[in-house]
Parts: sequence; structure tokens; C-alpha cells
Amino acid sequence: MNAIEIRNLQKNFGSKQAVRGLNMTVPEGAIYGFIGENGSGKSTTEKMICGLIIPSGGSIRLYGKDYTNAEVRSKIGLLIEQPGCFQNLSVWNNMMIQAANLGIESAEAEVAKVLKLVRMEGAASNKFKNCSLGMKQRIGIAMALLGEPKLLVLDEPINGLDADGMRIMREVLTDITKNYKCTVLISSHILTELEKIATHYGIIKGGEMIKEMTAAELDASCRTFIALKAADMNKTKLLLSSRYSRVEETEEGYIRIYDLTEPDEVTEFLYNNGVTVSEIETSKIGLEEYYIDLMNERRA
Amino acid sequence: MTHTRELTFENPGFYKRLKGMLGVDFYRLFHTPMYYIFLAIAAIIPAMVLSMGGQPNAQGEVVKLYENTWNIIAADTPLYVIKNIGEYANMNMVFIFGGIMVSIFIGHDYKSGYVKQLFTTHSLKSDYMMSKSIVGAFSMMCMCLTYLAGGVFAGVLTGADMSVNAGSLLIAILGKMIMSLGWASLYTMLNVIFRRYFGVSITSSFVIGTGIPVIGAAAVLGNNSALNIFLYGSSVNACLSSNIGTLVTCIAVSCVWAVVYNIVGSVILSRCDVY
Repeated sequence: MNAIEIRNLQKNFGSKQAVRGLNMTVPEGAIYGFIGENGSGKSTTEKMICGLIIPSGGSIRLYGKDYTNAEVRSKIGLLIEQPGCFQNLSVWNNMMIQAANLGIESAEAEVAKVLKLVRMEGAASNKFKNCSLGMKQRIGIAMALLGEPKLLVLDEPINGLDADGMRIMREVLTDITKNYKCTVLISSHILTELEKIATHYGIIKGGEMIKEMTAAELDASCRTFIALKAADMNKTKLLLSSRYSRVEETEEGYIRIYDLTEPDEVTEFLYNNGVTVSEIETSKIGLEEYYIDLMNERRA
Repeated sequence: MTHTRELTFENPGFYKRLKGMLGVDFYRLFHTPMYYIFLAIAAIIPAMVLSMGGQPNAQGEVVKLYENTWNIIAADTPLYVIKNIGEYANMNMVFIFGGIMVSIFIGHDYKSGYVKQLFTTHSLKSDYMMSKSIVGAFSMMCMCLTYLAGGVFAGVLTGADMSVNAGSLLIAILGKMIMSLGWASLYTMLNVIFRRYFGVSITSSFVIGTGIPVIGAAAVLGNNSALNIFLYGSSVNACLSSNIGTLVTCIAVSCVWAVVYNIVGSVILSRCDVY
């Protein structure tokens, strides 16, 4: 069964079409990375899934039921923008409020459990307004986890976090997928972080889904390359271009030779032509570059 | 990643949903300083009005606003047409304070983003309307009581006349307290309509709470009992000459309007983007 199945989803704000004919399939148990530029319709789609925005057309089915179904809605957790908390109440009380809304019987134990999971057990008595951005995002995730949701919708949970905050958040998300076994729909601009956890991807542009794939499919479609540095980069590039079909110089000052995996062959070739290689490694383009390439293709 | 296990979802019943939401709203009400501030205002205003020496008339003579303490609660007869401020300034003012309080309370739901947490779960829009109406009505009923306490205290201090038909007074107070449910539902609906515009919602609550539309209608129709079909009309009707029929009217009008406003508010919420 698919956790989310969206067909021909549309949303108009006045004359502006925010989402146009979007199709999306999120298998149960997936960590679905939802990627797109600012204003591409990610948040609008997520808000429609969560029932906060009424679609102008199309259908959203969650676990085979219409998205408005109260039974299925009771098992959705969300973090969209910032968590909806009362600033002057403590973290604990905000959590208890959400637990009460969800009708959780053993609320205190459940709140303590999710706060521990997001490494916030020591800050439960803090007023929400005194928490840092990273803490607020983790509180939002803890809130989303109340009631053992089957589907988690997380909108940009790592944006704006510092390196340490991002690391903690990554650990938290990994723990969630291990402990809760729920489906996660997560959008983020920080693709390098997303790549570490996502099992499926959906790329949206201008309100349309332009690509959906699994992590394995992404891996298969990402090209391998050899990156190297040498003393005379211009001569090196000329030499390599005469032998290999796709050679590019990167902004970081490396020369890349695509679709090649044997560095010894390149080193030997350059050595025979009087060039000494100072650095060389085999690598693969990641989600970020794949995404940029895809966007450039669409623009072209 | 596809699991084959069968997923089951619990169907949360009406009682469970409303219990949770009411619990949260009452918790918030009792933990917000605003509630206690409004209770204090409701107590201070009648005391201030009653303690005032009076109002100067056209000849410059100071005329006492009230000869009788209980006129701070209600007028002697249902006066929709107002000749002086004394005929207007009574317990009905609680509905103005209540309107502002409900506006702030609901405005905070949207400002904090609490509604997105709420409506993502199983909570229904009708549950939301009901919960806010009940909590709003409760807070206005409490304001009626502090208003009564403030008025009586000032009446005793100023030595104003305390004679009254106790039965009618009790019915007037009960009638106004019962009207709180209709008023709270109206304010909840207004705040749902203007949820994106806090200034407009608080202004609309204030204007309607003052009873200006009904007072305007009364200027044309006179002291016509037909105005009792409106919330303000029935609130005015609960006066010091009330009888059991007045109380029945208050119950009927308040409940009918509460149902109407709750239905309209729920439909609006269901058909519009929430957040």
C-alpha cells in the first residue's frame, strides 16, 4: 500500500497556479525527499496533504483513504515551518497540549519518550520562546511524533540550523526511521543532508512533479568521475580533452573526467605527457549535482 | 521499503475529540493573564460607573446615572432605544469585553500556528467551533459574576438604593449569562471569517458587541419586542422586570444562534484554507 498517492493535484491562489496536475506516490515506509526550488509548490503540496489547504482539484489518498478521513488524520505528524507552539508556555506544556488534542492516554510517558528521542529531555521546562531555532525544530519533530504517527510530514526541518544542529537533526531523523518505522515526507534545500537519509525522491518544479525515483535509481543514474589536480591545469585539461569525451573544470579547481573509474590509467597517460598529478580520486555526482543538472536541462 | 502488514486506524469519537480540545482550551484560558485581566476589568467597570457622581445634563446640572444599584446590572424595562448612557451601561458591556477576549484568544491560535497542529490531526472544524464557543461562553459567564460582584461592592460603598424584585434580578443575571453562549458563538464565527485579519476581527467583535446594529434598528422600530430575536435584543430584554418567559426567550435565542453560528463557522472553516 502507498502511504501517499496524489493524482492530478491542483491548487490555485487567485490567478496563480501554485500546484498544477501534480502526481506523487510515496510507498509505505519510505523516507521521501521532496525537492524543489523556492516557490515550486512543495510547502503548498505538504499543506494540502496535512489538510491545511483545500486543493482546487485532484485527489490525495493516504493509506488508501481520502485525506480528509479522521481515522487516517489521527496518524499524521507534521512540522511545517515552525511548530505551532504557545511562546509563553514551557516545552513540556506545549507537548502536553498536543497530546491532549490527540487524546493520548499515557500522555506524560509519551511526551517524555519523544522529548528524549529528539534530545530535548533536559529542556522540557524551558519556555518555548527561549529555545533556539534548532531546539524549536526538534520540539516540532517531537510534537509530530506524538501518537505514534504512521506518516510524518516535515517541511524544511534542517534549514537555518548550524552544523551541530544539523548533525543532531540527522541523528534524530535516523533514530525516528529506526524506532518508529513510519513513512516520512521531508522537504529540504540541503540536499547533501537529505541524500544521507532518503530512500525515495520527488523533484518538483513550477508546481509539477518532474521526476520521482528511488535512491537506487538515483545512484544508477548519477555518473561516476575522476577528479584531479595537477601543477599545470591548462595543459592537463587540453591533454585530457584530446583523449576523453567529457572533461570539465570545476569551480573548486579540479578537473573532472566523467564516466571513468580507473585513476591509474589517467595518471599514466598524464605522466607520459609530462604532467605530474598532485591529487586524484574517483567519485560520483551526488543528489545536489543531479538536481542542478536536471534543473538546467529543464531550463534549456 | 514496502511493508505488507495491514495498517489499522482508530476512529476517534466525538466525545474523545471534544474532550481533548476543551481540555486544552480551558487549560489555555486559565493560564493566560488576559483572562484574569478581563475578569478584573469586568469588576472594575461597574464599580467605576456606579461610583461616578453622575452626568451633566443640558442645564449643566449633574444628574445621577443610577438611583438603584441593580441598574448597573440591567435597566428597569427592556430599553432598546437609549436616551442616556445610564440606560446602556449595564451587564451587557460584558459581551463587549468578551468579544475582545475571544478575538485575542482565537487570534493567538492562528498567530502561534497552533491551528495547523490541530487541524492536521483528527480534529474536526465543528469541534473547533464548539470548543471555542463553550470556552468563550464560560469566560463571559465568569465576567458576568465579577461584574455583579464589582457592582454590588460599589453599590454598598456608595450607599445606593438596593431594593429590587429578587426573582426578576436573578432571571436578568441568569438570562445574560445564558446569552453568553450565543455571543461567544457569534464572536467565534466572526474570528473564523476574519482569521487572517486580527484588526478586523477584533473591531467587528467590538462593534457588534456594543449592539450598535440593534440600537440602530431600534431607532427606527422603537422599543419593539421583535428585536428580542437578536442576541443584543434578548440581552437587553433580560432586565429588572423579567419573568420566566424572559428566561425561556434567552435560552431559545442563545441556543438557536449558537447552533447557527457554529454551523456557519464550521462550513466556512471546511471550505477555506486554514493556514
